Amino acid sequence: MRLHIVELIFFSAYAELRAERSRSYLGFVWWLLDPALQMGIYYLVFSVVLKSAQSDFVPFLLIGLTVWQWFKSCVSHGGHAIWQNLRVIRQVKLPAAVFPSVQILADTVKFLCILALLLVVLWSCGYRPNAAYAALPAVLIVELIFASAIAYFVAAIMPLLPDLRFVIEQILTMLMFVSGIVIPVHDVASPLRELLMLNPMVEIVEATRGILMRGEWPHWPELLGVTVVSIACYVASLVVISRLTHRYVKLPS
Amino acid sequence: MSEAIVKLENVGIAFDMQLRIGGKRFWALEDVTLELAAGDRLGVIGRNGAGKSTLLRVIAGILAPDRGRISRNKVSCQLLSLAVGFQPHLSGRDNAILSGLMLGLHRRDIERRMPQIIEFSELGDFFDEPISTYSTGMLSRLGFSVAMQVEPDILLIDEVLAVGDAEFREKSAAALRERIHSGCSVVLVSHEERAIRDICTHAIWIEHGRSVMHGRVEAVLEAYAREAHVEPTGAGA
Repeated sequence: MRLHIVELIFFSAYAELRAERSRSYLGFVWWLLDPALQMGIYYLVFSVVLKSAQSDFVPFLLIGLTVWQWFKSCVSHGGHAIWQNLRVIRQVKLPAAVFPSVQILADTVKFLCILALLLVVLWSCGYRPNAAYAALPAVLIVELIFASAIAYFVAAIMPLLPDLRFVIEQILTMLMFVSGIVIPVHDVASPLRELLMLNPMVEIVEATRGILMRGEWPHWPELLGVTVVSIACYVASLVVISRLTHRYVKLPS
Repeated sequence: MSEAIVKLENVGIAFDMQLRIGGKRFWALEDVTLELAAGDRLGVIGRNGAGKSTLLRVIAGILAPDRGRISRNKVSCQLLSLAVGFQPHLSGRDNAILSGLMLGLHRRDIERRMPQIIEFSELGDFFDEPISTYSTGMLSRLGFSVAMQVEPDILLIDEVLAVGDAEFREKSAAALRERIHSGCSVVLVSHEERAIRDICTHAIWIEHGRSVMHGRVEAVLEAYAREAHVEPTGAGA
């Protein structure tokens, strides 16, 4: 990739983060407050109101939501990115994948802030740092590749199918419930459970919980499988974007 | 004529008219053939909707032909675009960097040229304020100052020969004229015959997406004046 494209992605991500700060009174505080509020709501509903019987439910939920929120923002923001930048794409010759990449980078910066807060909360609840933390970067990189792959794919088809933006949030909410974020996939009855386990996010979320809550190393063969699938999806999505780029330029404005 | 750096052969471009599967297509360019040699300054003339702006975007490489062929030597090619990617909440300085990167400049080149951008745009202290506080004139001054930092081998201009208020119009026109005559190749779309006559060495006349005539600027302008100008009055035939 050419240097000015890399510079463009980084500088645009910086611009994106600055924009969020300047659009509200509390600015950066919302990066943490927004997920904290959301976690609070899920905690109230599942732990207090529905009285979920599972022990360790709070860290289970917090880790699941933090990891999911990152995936969701990448897909949702990145997915809109080409569609929102059609005007620029019509004016200058740029690889269209730049636009979702900017959103993914900005959301990753925000995720890292939230992750830092999550770790502090977990430590103060007694879930201490452990040797398996060494595997955390690997698990997060696999999630980044998978989230990017899906974000690129949604971004690629959104300009041709703008109706997608009316359903993308609902699809993501539905996916959250089948990815073991609030309801453990292991609680699901057998034939359906095996089907749900095919979703790479299930393995990624479980591996993260294993590290942070129980000091367990990831199941390497499964994680390797998820990595291979993620890389394949990533490459396929980039091919789709480059194949479709000439059509974005010609879309009616 | 020296060797062509850009060559279009029977190029056609179709647009989707609606966002619908199986929707109608519209051929903005039907059949255009042209050659551009290094140092050529080509004027594109023709009526509204003839496909002139589409042609510029084909030469820029933004649009790929649906039929015909385009060949381009290893040359940089840039459509003179003002305020590309500007973000309202960012300062003039940050927008200069962002827009410059989108136009293909490197970060360090933009930083190096920053003093010229500040000076040319005449924004003073406003340069570090968010551009949402700018007037329209200030925005176009910034946009123009940034766009002028790009130095492509082929400069593509779509009508924009000057921007801003009376005083800045003169200054921007002079700067652009200097760039045009600095030895790069130019493709200029303009409705002003005078501008084409002053600037260009060659001209191409586009009618309903087809190249009708391509040659020395005087000959093409003369033929265009004879044909196109007479026709709408109904006096022709």
